[in-house]
Amino acid sequence: MRKCKIFVGSSHSELGKLVCDRLGVEPAPCTLKKFSNGETSVQIGVSVRDEDVYIIQSGSPYINDHIMELLILISACRGGSANKITAVIPQFPYSKQSKMKKHRGAITARMLANLLIMAGADHVVSMDLHASQMQGFFTKPVDNLLGAPTLARWIRHNIEDWQNAVVVSKNPGGTKRVTALADSLKINFAMIHTDRRRTHDQLLKKSKKAKIIGDVNIVSELQTARIVQGHVVDDDYPRETTENNNIVNNNSSINGILEKGDDVLGGTYDATNSDDDEDDKPQEEKLITLVGDVKGKVAIILDDMIDKPNSFIAAAEHLRLNCGAKAVYVIGTHGLFTDHCLESLCESKCIDKIVVTNTYPITKEKCQLHQDKLVVIDVSPIFAECIRRDHFGESISVLFDSLAAIE
Amino acid sequence: MHGRSQNSIKLLAGNSHIELCKQIADKLGIKIARVGAFQYTNQETAIAIGESVRDEDVYIIQTGCDSEKINDYVMELLLMINACKVASARRITAVIPNFPYARQDKKDKSRAPITAKLLANLLQIAGCNHIITMDLHASQIQGFFRIPVDNLYAEPIMLKYIKENFNKDDLIIVSPDAGGAKRVAGIADKLDVQFALIHKERARANEISRMVLVGDVSDKIAILIDDMADTCGTLCKAADILIENNAKQVICIITHGIFSGSAIEKINESKIDKVVCTNSLPISNHLKNCSKLEMLDISSTLAESIRRLHNGESISYLFYNNS
Repeated sequence: MRKCKIFVGSSHSELGKLVCDRLGVEPAPCTLKKFSNGETSVQIGVSVRDEDVYIIQSGSPYINDHIMELLILISACRGGSANKITAVIPQFPYSKQSKMKKHRGAITARMLANLLIMAGADHVVSMDLHASQMQGFFTKPVDNLLGAPTLARWIRHNIEDWQNAVVVSKNPGGTKRVTALADSLKINFAMIHTDRRRTHDQLLKKSKKAKIIGDVNIVSELQTARIVQGHVVDDDYPRETTENNNIVNNNSSINGILEKGDDVLGGTYDATNSDDDEDDKPQEEKLITLVGDVKGKVAIILDDMIDKPNSFIAAAEHLRLNCGAKAVYVIGTHGLFTDHCLESLCESKCIDKIVVTNTYPITKEKCQLHQDKLVVIDVSPIFAECIRRDHFGESISVLFDSLAAIE
Repeated sequence: MHGRSQNSIKLLAGNSHIELCKQIADKLGIKIARVGAFQYTNQETAIAIGESVRDEDVYIIQTGCDSEKINDYVMELLLMINACKVASARRITAVIPNFPYARQDKKDKSRAPITAKLLANLLQIAGCNHIITMDLHASQIQGFFRIPVDNLYAEPIMLKYIKENFNKDDLIIVSPDAGGAKRVAGIADKLDVQFALIHKERARANEISRMVLVGDVSDKIAILIDDMADTCGTLCKAADILIENNAKQVICIITHGIFSGSAIEKINESKIDKVVCTNSLPISNHLKNCSKLEMLDISSTLAESIRRLHNGESISYLFYNNS
């Protein structure tokens, strides 16, 4: 490709290489390192004057370092008189912080968008943004690529009896994503809702009512169970007596705030916000409800990112133990797997396979260690094709209408 | 009730230098606001604002330090600024004693990024209304901002220290490089003492090749003054040359003690007799490991500037009328 340079950031050089290979070009030479005081240093080893520059940088465990590196790279290319700078960010960092939670939060994703534009990016390419509304944060064009077609293809090729499978959303917020995939595969979908406000007593009332009608698992399409310590338990499991810590905390020291994190504010809890909140308080008792029918079928839990394990494990246990699912697949576009997430997911007997794409770097050791359950799908062809089409001014939406073309 | 005049100072502490922030809060007689930055398990930085900042005068203390976390602290500062802006603070002032990336302030090679300018833009985009910093590596960085920048000086504190600890007849002030000559000449003038200069030929960043001393330092206490000490290679080599030229003692006075890499070991092994540096970066750990290190407290300068800025009083008065 003439007049085109592709720079690969240090967050995910593997994906960058794959994209370059696919395009038949070498990554443009640049030196990325740190000074001894920790400041990031960037040197661009080739002229970018009047060229189309693509910079591939994803999220990573060293998130802030790599954001700085991306910003400095963009600004260096801008200073080197590049014609057009496109930031290719397969997994957009900070995308979960895209709205004001409770009172007085920073809208970090919007700020990051502003930072990128200010540094000199003319165009942003990302995949499966946590909320597609985030495109509106940018004053420059954003191409939000879709991971779903790739995942759908994997499902068609690798899951037996996928025609009878059910795509499950593990929280109401992700239902739209789930229905889209279900529609494209023409299969059924279901939804799981975890509620931390409804009490034990209500569950008892409900199950009593259900018993009058018959067996809770068969008659109603609404299946409810309790989660304690992050795991599904029987109805007669002893009730937790500890006070939950959603009470307003009057700790005045800064450390108090740091420790308690988002609990300090107490205050009203907005139900619509809870969709995104991962269950970071596993000790709390919750109520899990499945809407839909998975009995004897393969259940596919779909989300845009697999970050923390608890909600996935609870959902899988509920589907498998209480609702009679034949197998449970956990599928997501971005496999962040923070801390021991991957280990916990693999240990869970209720999860059969974990499927993610390689938008976010996953170390080779991790892949090998968990290869019996973990599947990583390569999405570099999509990014390569997107870069090629963008450079030659061809349509990108066509890419998703006829994905078969690059299979 | 009274509208605009009724707002107060809200002091926010970034995680980089909570100690300094506490000292400033004590000097101002206020409490640090219940706002904190923490990290999610996926390493994203997040902010919790535990009290209202609506219509308040917000000051965020964050300095560039710690080679492991410098970018985290930059991000933290940007997020805190943005969180306060979204929470309708009236004015947001970033107090950055050591401005990070200050040395990447020019296009010294083709296609080199001007990161200091980038950082200036980032701060403004995040919503910063005012910057307080100290001894910028190059004062031109002030011009990178479209918002007012108050560049404070550690010079009065240094002068006071020199006057209190040395007899000016024994002294000679030395600049470890040509770039610092102006700063050193100013101090020498104010103390009415001689000054000398060391010229170094630099091959690569953080590496020095050859040094030449200009001026006579024999039988004098040589005081090396610089704005920052990073790996301390320059200072140690300068000390060698000064001792070779019969200086009695070598004292280093520095504003920003970054001390990255093996700087502390280098100082311990070198011919430097004493390193005096301000607490613009957290150095309490280094103080334990290095008996040659001494600290100058700048919290009162910062506190007074914050007070003056809040009340709309002159800040330059602080530097021209109290020596």
